[in-house]
Amino acid sequence: MMSVGSELALLVDVGSAWTKGTLIARVRGAWRIVGHHAQPTGWGDSELIARLASALRPSADPRLGRDLERLIAAAPRIECHTSVRPARLALAAVSREVSGAAARRAAESAGWLVVESASPDDGRALTDRLVALQAAEVDAWLIAGGFESGRSDQALEMAALVAAARGNRGGPVIWAGSSQLNHDVAGLFELGAVTPVANPRPSPERDDPAPLRACLEELLSRTVEPESARHLSPVGFRRALSQLSRETELRIMGIDLGMRFATVVLADGRGEAESRVFARGGLTASTLTAPGGPSRVTRGMAEPIDEQTVADTLQNISARPATLPQTEDDLAVLQAAARHQLASVVSDDLRAEGIDLLVGAGRVIAAAPRPAMAAQMLIDGVRPVGVTALAIDGGALLGPLGSLDDGEIGEGMAALREDLLVPLGTAVICRDGRAGHVAMRVTLHRSGWPSVGPIEVRSGQLQIVPLGAGQFAEMELDLEEGASLGAARRSRRAWAEVTGGAVGVILDARGTPASLPRRAEDRRAVLSAWRDAMLREPPQPAPRAR
Amino acid sequence: MSITHRIPISRGSHVSVAVGDDVHPDQELARRRTPLDPQIVPVAAPLRRRPEVAAGLLLRPPGSFVEAGEPIAQASDGRQVLSPLAGLLLAYSRTDGNAIISPLGPEEPILAHVSGRVSGVDATAIVIDVPGAALDGVGGTGEAVHGELVISVDDPGEELRATAIDVGSTGKIVVGGSRASAETLTRARAMGVAGIVLGGVLDKELRDFEAIQRRRREVGGLSGSFGLLLVEGFGKVGLDAGLFAWFERHTGHMASLFGSQHRLYVYDAAPPPTRRSMPRLGDRVVAHRRPIQGRGGELVGFVEGMHMTASGIPARTALVRFEDGRTIPVPVANLEAIESTEAGSGD
Repeated sequence: MMSVGSELALLVDVGSAWTKGTLIARVRGAWRIVGHHAQPTGWGDSELIARLASALRPSADPRLGRDLERLIAAAPRIECHTSVRPARLALAAVSREVSGAAARRAAESAGWLVVESASPDDGRALTDRLVALQAAEVDAWLIAGGFESGRSDQALEMAALVAAARGNRGGPVIWAGSSQLNHDVAGLFELGAVTPVANPRPSPERDDPAPLRACLEELLSRTVEPESARHLSPVGFRRALSQLSRETELRIMGIDLGMRFATVVLADGRGEAESRVFARGGLTASTLTAPGGPSRVTRGMAEPIDEQTVADTLQNISARPATLPQTEDDLAVLQAAARHQLASVVSDDLRAEGIDLLVGAGRVIAAAPRPAMAAQMLIDGVRPVGVTALAIDGGALLGPLGSLDDGEIGEGMAALREDLLVPLGTAVICRDGRAGHVAMRVTLHRSGWPSVGPIEVRSGQLQIVPLGAGQFAEMELDLEEGASLGAARRSRRAWAEVTGGAVGVILDARGTPASLPRRAEDRRAVLSAWRDAMLREPPQPAPRAR
Repeated sequence: MSITHRIPISRGSHVSVAVGDDVHPDQELARRRTPLDPQIVPVAAPLRRRPEVAAGLLLRPPGSFVEAGEPIAQASDGRQVLSPLAGLLLAYSRTDGNAIISPLGPEEPILAHVSGRVSGVDATAIVIDVPGAALDGVGGTGEAVHGELVISVDDPGEELRATAIDVGSTGKIVVGGSRASAETLTRARAMGVAGIVLGGVLDKELRDFEAIQRRRREVGGLSGSFGLLLVEGFGKVGLDAGLFAWFERHTGHMASLFGSQHRLYVYDAAPPPTRRSMPRLGDRVVAHRRPIQGRGGELVGFVEGMHMTASGIPARTALVRFEDGRTIPVPVANLEAIESTEAGSGD
């Protein structure tokens, strides 16, 4: 019970559509979550505090009475927020598919919104490209193209095109092309306007987007809310996972899927973390509503919902992101869209292989009606090959904790260790099994309990073995010919410790990506079987051995 | 009351209005010259230099504007290359020694599309104070248009049929009901309707219509402008009755519609019923998600604590008595309160 003398703190994550508030209190010497509430961001602070107080009242000391709201309002507050607007970029590249794609990927993963892009092979006349760039309202310009080995005329032409379109409107210009052209490109603009960056595509065989991404991240922090970069949710999320990785020595991938932004973080087990922030990677992404988007989402759905309804639902989610799915069908569309977006933001350079822990954040995942739904979105979208513990940021704590000062993050996360993440269980995902054959045989050993298995999992199958939160098991795994857990290994047999959670141990031999029949009815039947396997109530475990 | 309207202008536009000027929808605010097909101008050959050497002799950097007859390159021996035309120097090729200059086409007007008074002009935009009311939608398509407001349905939940569009609709902004087919939209455009305001439209119908317009544009059979504003949501969604009544009161008023910006201005009008999130007891509300999307009613109570929706998500929930007499629990997040801003005509 929360008493009169309780110490309180309020952790708030203000998202583009939803605000999540979590009240923590020191209970019997330990900090614990005592209240959580999520509401549309437009409802404001006083409503959030009133709802938290209302939820807390039944379990609080009655003497606190109406003072609860005052106490919560006066409690120390740790807050992070999504940026008010994304920074906008115009991109001019020598080739749409080569330098343009690499530069766009780097820009989008650094949190920029590419509002206009032009390249000689974009199917438009030169003048149409010029007119489009002239009309673009942007915060910065990015020019990319030309390999290091030469001086590309086309790269210079694109730079001149930007110079012609930009005129005296200003805005920083990033030149990410052949260093041999640095001087020529700089000469097209006023002094100091151009920042040359290492070529993200130095040769046809090599990609090196990191310097460009770092430059764009730095420019973004100067362009959008320069005074509060640490309190931006993507930054806080990355810092928190970095700290968690340092403390646990686990290789962690975290994905925060919001309505507007998506953030992917990969922490290496030593505390070093890389992140990608996709300004249009969330559930209101234009790629979901653009032609082809609804069709792709529909293809991943077990429910027999027609593409037209899916398209309307996706449009409505985009138009009113702070509303809730009210029907099962609406929820199914939202979760299918989430799986699609998760798959699209996990890029080649942040591969979900060999990670120890996958953390899902954002309301659609972390507040899914059933934990198995959250687990399914994560494993279907990310496809983490290998043995991976799954968890969700159910209290939306990571962003706010990550916004603390360097010296305080560790302390804050340690204080909330018990409540920090909600464990879902462990996913064991193999790939490359032979169709119709057994891909893996799994036996779970628990001290004092009868062993479970061996369980045969055929290629294309998904099975759940119950293992509760806080429970551990030794997993003995035999991979059949062709099947792989990602990393090359000599032995077909592997041992690993698996942890339990609200879902259990997920044995997944569906491959990466999961292969699906072409015919719609067959595809839905397969998807239904997988969904049912995930959502089925687990059988009661065998009685404990005496 | 007035609202602020911003018209972006691109580089090289010549603005013909100043702060304080009164403007009307057909008025030209600025002129811009769109670049035309570029011309190749030999540079290295007339200078008798190799292309890579001639690059260093350019007097104007690519990206700058050059006048006809202006020297664009000059060699140490006095040889010059003069620009044969006025335009943007877009590039110089070190391979063939040619420059590319894009002439600027004839001046094209940038129209106001709104009535009002200019309150600001800078390099990127013209800002106009518009005396009227603004209505923001959730979707839309098409260009900026203006015209007289007319209503072509009897009921806010009625579908706008192709037969409701006739010659009398030409040049007008037509207020429809819960949806319109691609056929209706195509007919409206063909009849010269300036724009359409709908409660909802099916995403597929909108895409089909846009595809038809694209094809017609490609074959050159498209003239005039057309805009569409979607007020409530995607699907078959009627206009709120209060909003429909507001449109009825303003039939005959001039309006400006900006489809791609999801905005409508109605001149000399009182503000439309406003929307507020977090409705209170007794508020008139509209619901936004299926299965009751677009339906209006009265908020008659709140469910104690959190209530599980059919989707399985626990949510703060209100009880809404809808116009058909049924009382249904609805997540408060899916409701907006409708606040009437005036009871009279507002004229």
